[in-house]
Amino acid sequence: MVRTLLSLLLCVAARSDVCTIARADESPAAVAAPAGCPAQSTFRDSWIKVGERICLKCHVAGGDAADSKFRLQDVLRISADERVSAVTQNCDVFTRMGLVRDKDGRSRLIVKATGGLDHGGGEVLKADSTELSVLQEFVDSLKRKPTETHPAQVLDTDDLKSFFDGVDMLSDQRLLRRVTLSLAARLPNASEQHVVDAQGLAAFESVLAALMKEDAFYERLQEGFNDIFLTLGYNGNGDDVLSYNHFQHTRHWYQKHNLDHVPAKERQRAKYKLADQYREALRREPLELLRYIVEQNRPFSEILTADYTMVSPYTARGYGVFEELQTEFQDQDDPFEYIPTKLKALKHRDGKVQPTAAGDYPHAGLLSMFQYLRRYPTTETNRNRLRGRMYYQHFLGVDIMNLAPRVSDAAAIDAQYETPTMQATECVVCHRTIDPIAGLFQDYYNEDGHYGPRKDGWFTDMFGSGREGDDLPEAERWRALQWLGEHTVTDPRFAIAMTEHVYYILMGRNVLRPPTDIDDAAFAARRRAYLAQRELIKHAAKTFTDSDFNLKVVFQQLVVSSFYRADGLSAVSLRAERLAELDDVGVVRLLSPEQIERKIVAVFGKSWGRLDNSYAILYGGIDSREVTERLTDPSGAIGALQRILANDVACKNVAADFALPPDKRRLFPCIQPDVVPGTTDVTAEQKIRAAIVHLHQHVLGRHDNPDDPEVDQTYQLFAGIVAEAASRGRFEQVESYFCKSSGQAGPRDPDPHYTLRAWRAVVTYLLRQHDFLYE
Amino acid sequence: MRRDFLKWCASAGLRLVVPTTLFEGARASEDRKESATYDGPYYVVCNASGGWDTTYLMDPKGVNGINRLYQQGDILTDGKICFAPTAKHISEGMSNEDFFAKYAKELLVLNGLDYSVNNHAPCSRYMATGHLDSLAYPTFAALVAACRGPECPLSFLTFGNYSATGNLVSMARVPYIQSLKLLANADSVQGIAQHPYHDAFVSDHMDKALAEQQRWRASQSNLPRRMRAESMLYAAQWNSKSLTRITPHIPKSTPKDPLSQQAEIALASFKAGVCVSANVTIGQFDSHQKNDEDQMKLLPRFLSSIDYLLRRAEDLQIREKLILVIQSEMGRKPTYNKGDGKDHWSIGSTMFLGPGILGNRVIGSTSEGQFPVALDAQTLALDPDNGLRVRPEHIHAALRELAGIDAHPFSQQFPFKLKDEEKLRGLWG
Repeated sequence: MVRTLLSLLLCVAARSDVCTIARADESPAAVAAPAGCPAQSTFRDSWIKVGERICLKCHVAGGDAADSKFRLQDVLRISADERVSAVTQNCDVFTRMGLVRDKDGRSRLIVKATGGLDHGGGEVLKADSTELSVLQEFVDSLKRKPTETHPAQVLDTDDLKSFFDGVDMLSDQRLLRRVTLSLAARLPNASEQHVVDAQGLAAFESVLAALMKEDAFYERLQEGFNDIFLTLGYNGNGDDVLSYNHFQHTRHWYQKHNLDHVPAKERQRAKYKLADQYREALRREPLELLRYIVEQNRPFSEILTADYTMVSPYTARGYGVFEELQTEFQDQDDPFEYIPTKLKALKHRDGKVQPTAAGDYPHAGLLSMFQYLRRYPTTETNRNRLRGRMYYQHFLGVDIMNLAPRVSDAAAIDAQYETPTMQATECVVCHRTIDPIAGLFQDYYNEDGHYGPRKDGWFTDMFGSGREGDDLPEAERWRALQWLGEHTVTDPRFAIAMTEHVYYILMGRNVLRPPTDIDDAAFAARRRAYLAQRELIKHAAKTFTDSDFNLKVVFQQLVVSSFYRADGLSAVSLRAERLAELDDVGVVRLLSPEQIERKIVAVFGKSWGRLDNSYAILYGGIDSREVTERLTDPSGAIGALQRILANDVACKNVAADFALPPDKRRLFPCIQPDVVPGTTDVTAEQKIRAAIVHLHQHVLGRHDNPDDPEVDQTYQLFAGIVAEAASRGRFEQVESYFCKSSGQAGPRDPDPHYTLRAWRAVVTYLLRQHDFLYE
Repeated sequence: MRRDFLKWCASAGLRLVVPTTLFEGARASEDRKESATYDGPYYVVCNASGGWDTTYLMDPKGVNGINRLYQQGDILTDGKICFAPTAKHISEGMSNEDFFAKYAKELLVLNGLDYSVNNHAPCSRYMATGHLDSLAYPTFAALVAACRGPECPLSFLTFGNYSATGNLVSMARVPYIQSLKLLANADSVQGIAQHPYHDAFVSDHMDKALAEQQRWRASQSNLPRRMRAESMLYAAQWNSKSLTRITPHIPKSTPKDPLSQQAEIALASFKAGVCVSANVTIGQFDSHQKNDEDQMKLLPRFLSSIDYLLRRAEDLQIREKLILVIQSEMGRKPTYNKGDGKDHWSIGSTMFLGPGILGNRVIGSTSEGQFPVALDAQTLALDPDNGLRVRPEHIHAALRELAGIDAHPFSQQFPFKLKDEEKLRGLWG
């Protein structure tokens, strides 16, 4: 099978022993035109479009062409104060190579790049490519005096410090609301508002520290990481993760559980509930591991190295360890109270015990959890390669399948070699990396995620087990996944990947990829945006690493970052390039169905409850199995659901709120339905505007003045409806039957001035707005 | 600011959906009640997810041990289309015999398609977008929806398969046909039209207020992402009103198989004029084990669902406006593995049907070993030595021409950069 890989493979594979998969984000680097470099502007173009994207793959220390004279510096991997020097050196190397001519007058730089002079990398630039044109322009510019045609200048486009110039940041109070809604599913409390008022941005460290102890934060954390790992979506029932071979006597404990204390007529229902909760509890275990690690301030690296797993009173029964653990639970009947524990080595029903050193199951965080393994199963032909792929994606941030390069004739290669994955260069380049990882999972060789080595032994027509050049020592075979986890967490890509996961949770989208289309007029702008974001990620990842992988630190870092706080533009008009730079700036995230439901609870005090199951999918949600990516832009279907939501939530809450004593109201604490615009009451408009200001603040998080244009618009809506109702003369003197304050029972609410219905329209109008539906 | 923003979109080539009508929509909304009806053509990409075995369909071999269920001499033809005999091997669905007897006159078959790679993810992306190396390119279905009907509330429906939109249009997922009923009456309690939440004049006031607000906000300076989101949100809610048109076309009974269910949702949406394109898909074609058993189960189901789609389109009187792309992301290897399965193969086939497509034709070929045979792009005749290996970008370039969107600015944002001599001239006949 031809397994192609990536332009992001650093192609040391073809001739060296080790193939390293580099993250796509590691190639470009900030580059300032060095003072001593001739032909600066053309060099800069050559560097960002050709040098760092193509040449650097091999012509760098550790690369395939490290020994060549054309050796470059990877600017990204060195400290900022060394970059100018490195770029100068790179320019010098380019220039010297560019000036060397063959007998036909062609630059050596061009000839090599197009595959001439036995270039080790072959033809890396096509004859009609833009990359070659760029390189040619650089070579041509060398013929001219740089000071005449390209005056020395410091290019300012890579000065990332100015990236947010002209971008307005969210006020501290609005940031507070964003954070509490996003991470704690509630509005800010008075104490938080006070401390933020007093301390500004500095207050967020303590505010977040407290917030990250709340249950709602962990619910959000688990939801966010499930978007990434999708462990809730494994096939079958929750208890299918426990194998018949190892847990045959315990995995269906609920079938024999004594429910005599339950009245007979309710017993069957109780039995179903017991089974459902048990299955859900098992399904949640991987996410409970994440919660435990973060809640206990343990190193997040334990998601790969934890020598324990999480069990609840229910799941412990499934594993057959309840008796020994029961005293450790606070409530033995709580299906979702989880504690860490170590399982014993698995014992097959034929009596054979899993080989281990000390008799314990070799836990390796998520890697060894049956749920994770079942979510990403193997087959006879896949041979754990899916697991290898997901390992790279989840824990090192490398998506192998996203950028597969074209193979000239994949079918011919497939037919030519007996084992293309080990023989054909095009295949080896990837399989040398993926297959050793796959081999590390070999003890879980079945589609169910259960423990069970392959009967015929591991495949010999695959590269041996290991990781990026390190072979798995035979003595470590029994604990291969522990070995993998330990090696992974020391890889700098791990911290970057985890930081990017938190970025996804906060922003609702993945980090930027380095731009690849050099023909794009906005290439330079996109590159700068990418580099600016990279700086944030790298900085947060370093802080994360320095904190011994405390994940809360990443939330702290990102929440106060300009990327999270950016809220608008102060400049009236910007250049196209600048707008392209700012294209991805700002959270501006369509709230997920789960987030919308939580926000409704936070704002209205009770749930709506309709964005679940199929409506969740309709609203862009996921089921973790078939539908695994959230929609980020609203379709007409979502637009219709938003209308339903706005109509219905307003219907259920407006009359109900007015029915409460004013000091208990959330929506209308300062106004009564008898305040009617356009009457002789000169204070009516003032009161209504004050009520609108409150609604804007409470529902939308806006801090408007009574004469704000947005308040004007809302006022006009309210007043217009009341006026038109009055002008029509006859209308029902009561609110809709369906929107009664008392729910189904009780009389309809009086509405003699039509104000109740007008306020309902106002709330409907607000709920349909960006400020409510987006973060 | 609005003008600057649009100018910037154009000049920077940014992948943003900001149809000018969205900005104008706010103003226009006062005197129109719903978005315009899209009247076709309608595009359906039927996807056999996992990799179908083309040698059991439109590229029969029967030699070199490629097929165990028939020999070369058993191969059937209908018109110019050759196909594998399957009637004796299936227990449900539609046989090749029946399918080609019914549709061969309309079908264009393209054999010898080179996917270049043979992994599901990149192949799916390549086949759906015509571009292997980019995550940014939109699928054809999304692109044509963006070009032809950006204001349709369900412009691009997807039920699976690779569905990237290039940020040109929103994708819509409607998992159940019953969902359409609810969506169609969003302003009524429980979707019951007789019980509106608001009096009609109140709804008018809200619409006007939202339109005014959108117009005002569009005039303000803001981050590009925010501006785009505001306009898309407004468009989504506004255009969703036209979903009321779907109600008469929602079938009373629902077919059992998934692809036919998807077809019903798509067809009702087409008929209502609220949808341009749809990705419909069924999976499990990845027959690494028991290839023949799986393919003989899935291919007939797939063909049966396509037949159902076309029959229902006939019922709804939109059949003549329906363009089908029938595809999979890869083929199956010409040899069986130890599990009687077939692994991935980077060569495959595709079929097309619909207005503007001359049927009863086969373009391209594979050798007896199931390797692609190159063809002359200008004449479409086989030219093994000097011809072109047909790849997804060639098909997509032709599809764009067929849809009349090849010169559209959105298409220009995602070019294929093919030389003239690489373009399949006259592919559609």
